[in-house]
Amino acid sequence: MFGVSREVTVTGYGVRSAFGEGAEGLRRGVFAGVPGFRPTTRFDTGPYRTAFAAAAPDGADAVEGWALRHALRQCGDDALRMAGLGAGAEAAVLLGVAGDHRSVTRYWREGDGSYDGRGAVVAGHAVPRAPEGARLADAVPARLAELLAEGLGLVGPRLAFTNACVASAAAIIHGCRLISSGRIDVAVCAGGYLVEEETFGKFDSGRALSRDGMVRPFSADRSGLLLGDGVAAVVLESAEHARRRGARPLVSVVGWGAATDAHHIAQPHPEGAGLARAARQALRLAGDPDGASLDYINAHGTGTKYNDGAETRGLRAAFGKRAESIPVSSTKSTTGHLLEAAGVVEFVITVLTLLDGVLPPTAGYGTPDPECDLDYVPNSPRPADARRALTINAAFGGANTALVLERP
Amino acid sequence: MTTTTDSAVLPASPSLSVLAAATATHDTGRDGDIALPKLPGFVESAFSPLAYEVAARCLTERPGDGDRTAVALVSLAGDTTTADLASSRMVSGRVHNPLLFMQATANSVLGHMSREFGITGQMFSLSTLAEPLTELLAMADLLLEDPELERVLVVGVELGGGERVAAVRRELTAEYSARPVPALPASAGLAAAVLLGRPGDGGASQVPVRPTKATTDQLGSIQTLFELAATHTETRETHTHAHQ
Repeated sequence: MFGVSREVTVTGYGVRSAFGEGAEGLRRGVFAGVPGFRPTTRFDTGPYRTAFAAAAPDGADAVEGWALRHALRQCGDDALRMAGLGAGAEAAVLLGVAGDHRSVTRYWREGDGSYDGRGAVVAGHAVPRAPEGARLADAVPARLAELLAEGLGLVGPRLAFTNACVASAAAIIHGCRLISSGRIDVAVCAGGYLVEEETFGKFDSGRALSRDGMVRPFSADRSGLLLGDGVAAVVLESAEHARRRGARPLVSVVGWGAATDAHHIAQPHPEGAGLARAARQALRLAGDPDGASLDYINAHGTGTKYNDGAETRGLRAAFGKRAESIPVSSTKSTTGHLLEAAGVVEFVITVLTLLDGVLPPTAGYGTPDPECDLDYVPNSPRPADARRALTINAAFGGANTALVLERP
Repeated sequence: MTTTTDSAVLPASPSLSVLAAATATHDTGRDGDIALPKLPGFVESAFSPLAYEVAARCLTERPGDGDRTAVALVSLAGDTTTADLASSRMVSGRVHNPLLFMQATANSVLGHMSREFGITGQMFSLSTLAEPLTELLAMADLLLEDPELERVLVVGVELGGGERVAAVRRELTAEYSARPVPALPASAGLAAAVLLGRPGDGGASQVPVRPTKATTDQLGSIQTLFELAATHTETRETHTHAHQ
């Protein structure tokens, strides 16, 4: 069986969410089971069926007025600082992002005249609300990967993954493959999404947004997802490279997998076939095909009718009866759906789960659903000496990813 | 001024073979431009129909085990036609079109491909300012180290685009002045696909990956992928005719 040739470790992370900066924000919100949803004032929500999102509030430390480029840079800086790396380091930059949609919206709202082609505001034109706001070219995903690499001063390949809700998980998997195969020693894998009207409107048109201002994954009364702010970066490093420079690995990535449903453009496979396949691949790579060593699963858990039942059946397909004794939670119940950033932010949440010994709950859980019959850690955090955890994501088009993390 | 670092992790292409290749162009003014193929559930934009057209030709020509096939699609800016249509509708107060929501990401056409051809291996989409063919070959080489995979379909799509896309190009060109961004007529699109495997796998009709005559220093252009696919398509046709 194909195995991990070189051990892949995580030596640093940086994260921002609706709860603010860093791990403390996540502990206050995600790990306390406190949903971050409130009516957003970021744009006029009048035309839409809901006003709710887990968007950071206005204020000095809010990400609301930032461009995605700045939020990514800050998380990248935090991750490198924690890892003890700095400018000049050789590292791939692999970014899961769809581009900064605000630049597209603003173009069509304000026209081309506000900018001089270099992103500077032309005299006489309206100044954008955010002084350091997104520029037109920030709509190009690769441009954000370049900016992140340049800003961090890293030397190496740069690539943007654009495959929606598995984009940053795909970036992490690619980083793991590059390191495991010996092609590189270090990769900064990141992802970002900040709530904006363009995507909000699209999800509203698809009738995918929750009607009651809450996201209730796996619960019978779930009515949809809500969007949230999320930006994160993680430093992946070969164990050997970390050891050579005296860095302390936080966790290891011991397995990964990715598979497609071959079922539908937008809906998941009803039996979670692709998700089960991705999970099995990751566990086989981790040397534990039955998942006997798994202590926790961070689910995709969007809170939609289609996803949660399919995901439950996929986990049962992957782990059989064993699935019933593995705690599973959806942290989208507090953070909202972070789209391209979901994979990397939930990766960081899973790292914290292993380091803190606390399972984040599925908030908003109400009435049990017969088709969702696993242990979802409902509403309250749970102490647990978790050593191994799986984090899974799924996306439009039937894309699925799985990553297995292990505490040293 | 900034510079783009081309991938430092690129393997030599002799480790890969071309199993099938296809190109398609629409409204470019080139010989062989095609009318946009109808693709159920996809509207207005050339992106998904062109991506599907070239992928389908490769996968039809060389059917294989979908469980052991991965797909990587590269496009610098993605489906800009859909993005602009959806955004301009929104700011003018018109109702969002759920079809535009569905097709906004390349995942949708990848999902359609996976369903039609039974592909359950990994499928993903990429954006790079470096040379896409180089990145795709490196990606394929890495993926084929996984014994669960035996074929990787790489696809590239490039659209013309309207006034916003032109403005984006101006901004990128100003930033990377030595490396112009490709420009096509507004309604034009081109796509190329190459189905890759390891030498020695999959039959006698493999053709080694060879360098093409085309070179490009244009940011994110799929031109070299297009030329590689075109070269292999021509070679195959010549070979076929010689044996008739």
